[in-house]
Amino acid sequence: MSSSAERFSVMRTSLSWLSVLLIASAVTSTTLAEDRLSVYVVNYPLKYFAERIGAEHVSVEFPVPAGEDPAFWKPTAEMIAAYQRADLILLNGASYAKWIATATLARSRLVDTSREFADHLVAGGNVTHSHGNTGAHAHGNFAFTTWLDFNQAAAQAKAVMEALARMRPDIRASFERNFEVLQSEFMALDAELNVMARKAANRPLLASHPVYQYLARRYALNIKSLHWEPDRVPEESEWTRLAAMQREHAAKWIIWEQAPLEASVQRLNAMGIGSVVFSPAANQPERGDFMTVMRANVANLGRALD
Amino acid sequence: MDSLYVAWRYLSFNWLRTATLIGCVSIILALPLALNFLLDVGERQLTARAQATPLVVGAKGSALDLTLNALYFGEQVPELISMAEDEAIARSGLALPIPVYVRFHAREFPIVGTTLDYFELRGLSIASGRTLGVLGECVLGATVAERLGLAPGDSLLSSPESVFDLAGVYPLKMKVVGVLAPTHGPDDLAVFVDVKTAWVIQGLGHGHEDLASIEDESVVLERRDGNVMANAKLLKYNEITPANLDSFHFHGDPALYPLTGVIVAPNDERAGTILRGRYLQEESRQQIVRPDEVIGGLLQSIFRIKDMLDAAMATVGAATVLALILVFALSLRLREREMTTMFKLGCSRATMARFVAAEIMIIGAFTAVLCAAVLALVNAYGVDLVRALILQQGG
Repeated sequence: MSSSAERFSVMRTSLSWLSVLLIASAVTSTTLAEDRLSVYVVNYPLKYFAERIGAEHVSVEFPVPAGEDPAFWKPTAEMIAAYQRADLILLNGASYAKWIATATLARSRLVDTSREFADHLVAGGNVTHSHGNTGAHAHGNFAFTTWLDFNQAAAQAKAVMEALARMRPDIRASFERNFEVLQSEFMALDAELNVMARKAANRPLLASHPVYQYLARRYALNIKSLHWEPDRVPEESEWTRLAAMQREHAAKWIIWEQAPLEASVQRLNAMGIGSVVFSPAANQPERGDFMTVMRANVANLGRALD
Repeated sequence: MDSLYVAWRYLSFNWLRTATLIGCVSIILALPLALNFLLDVGERQLTARAQATPLVVGAKGSALDLTLNALYFGEQVPELISMAEDEAIARSGLALPIPVYVRFHAREFPIVGTTLDYFELRGLSIASGRTLGVLGECVLGATVAERLGLAPGDSLLSSPESVFDLAGVYPLKMKVVGVLAPTHGPDDLAVFVDVKTAWVIQGLGHGHEDLASIEDESVVLERRDGNVMANAKLLKYNEITPANLDSFHFHGDPALYPLTGVIVAPNDERAGTILRGRYLQEESRQQIVRPDEVIGGLLQSIFRIKDMLDAAMATVGAATVLALILVFALSLRLREREMTTMFKLGCSRATMARFVAAEIMIIGAFTAVLCAAVLALVNAYGVDLVRALILQQGG
């Protein structure tokens, strides 16, 4: 009898403690959620940087649906309102995310992560136009896959770190620690690519799309770009243009943004051109994360540069 | 009670003289009181807004014009500065710059081109609709919405700068997306747009068909070296809609786009001092002003004038009191026969003094009521009146 009363008492005490712990944990998690900085981003790399650096102190939103190119995505009015409510809006700069140019956002919340190297952006090759004597202009001015130069990616991550630290100076040390880890990973990839690129100096390469300008500039790759879609077999005229290009730029490899159709691969193989994928990862990858995709990219490119 | 009745009957009989007397005394009393009230309201309004605006950067010139334009959206447009100034302040990391471009109008109300940071600085809240979202939208001050009878979903046309400037600024049809809650300040009388929309109104940005893929070749003057030159037939949009929004673009270097001023909110006092130091150099073509100092200077001038007015008013008042005494004394002389009759009827000198005192009391009471009515009117419309006067001063 006394032992069952003892058991009951122990059980009751345990339950009380459990309730206290549950309530405390609920309160702590609510407080943490309230304390977290609300960060909105314009592409997946920035989401990855912010999450790696901000960790549990940030809630990062990247509202672009899977499969859409964030550079050309158009938000609804409700989505713009959501961006307006954020504590921070991380921009890629280099005229990325066209909608930013026509949206009204609070300057105090905007962070142009490529501002540090804004003077070294690669000009885009758009068709220009003019109206009478007002001077020629183009509607999109710069190549925008800035993060494919890992040194620039580290600079963008640093801008993210600084912006978060400005908002939460009390946990700056934590942001700095996380940034340093991320930076070291970028530097490792940068060093690896540099070694590979030096071995294959000036080797002609093709790109399915003009998105590798910064990659080519940083690692001195000799890339010429086509306008081929990976999910579509190029038309005959495009094959003819490729053959003509090959006479001056005898590339053995073509770099794709994502895996191309087998028919395209076969026909390229027949021309003596191998295919490798180097995904810019502008949108959330189906598997893995930004760093795993970039590591796979470097490994893939290694095949072309070997 | 009898004295009051007799006095009332006498004053009613001589109603014209009584009304003149009450009018004169009321003016002498109400004028300085109303003036003091208006000045107090003006001082409060000017000081509160100036104190809520830490610093303003603009072109060198009249600090007062710059402050009145940036704070009260006065019609006097100061010399323009460029967006580069705003960006330089942002790059310094010392302060948050808020661009202000107050140059155009919609009907008689100023269009204020700025960013959402302005709304936060002033604590403006949306009473109906939503805040600015994209190019071509506007949010109305409470008074603008009321006077023009506009609500979210309606449209508002910007006014051309000059009716004779046929090649100048085309009106832009703006979509009203929100109305601000009343602030009883200049924000009630403004039409807020994104600063980029103000540049579209100016013609620095515009939207049209994509020239690279245009089918009507009669629009194209020539194609050369990747540049397509269009002629005047190219249709430019005068309304920004979701369908044509993407076609809107800006010409030239955005850093050179114009602003009338930049409101600067420094991170702290030290940052503000460093920033002010940067603009003290003689070669700087811009100036940085502290609105509270500028408005303080303006108020000092106003108060110097007010002191002179007070002195004049006191002299006139004293002269009027003497004149009133004279009027009463003469009136008693004129009423000598009437007084003698009353005396013969058995009225004592004290009773007659009571009659006169009752007359003065009635006149005093009517004067007090009239003064109170005037002051109540000033109280009701004074705030708007002062605001209009301040805006006129800005213009």
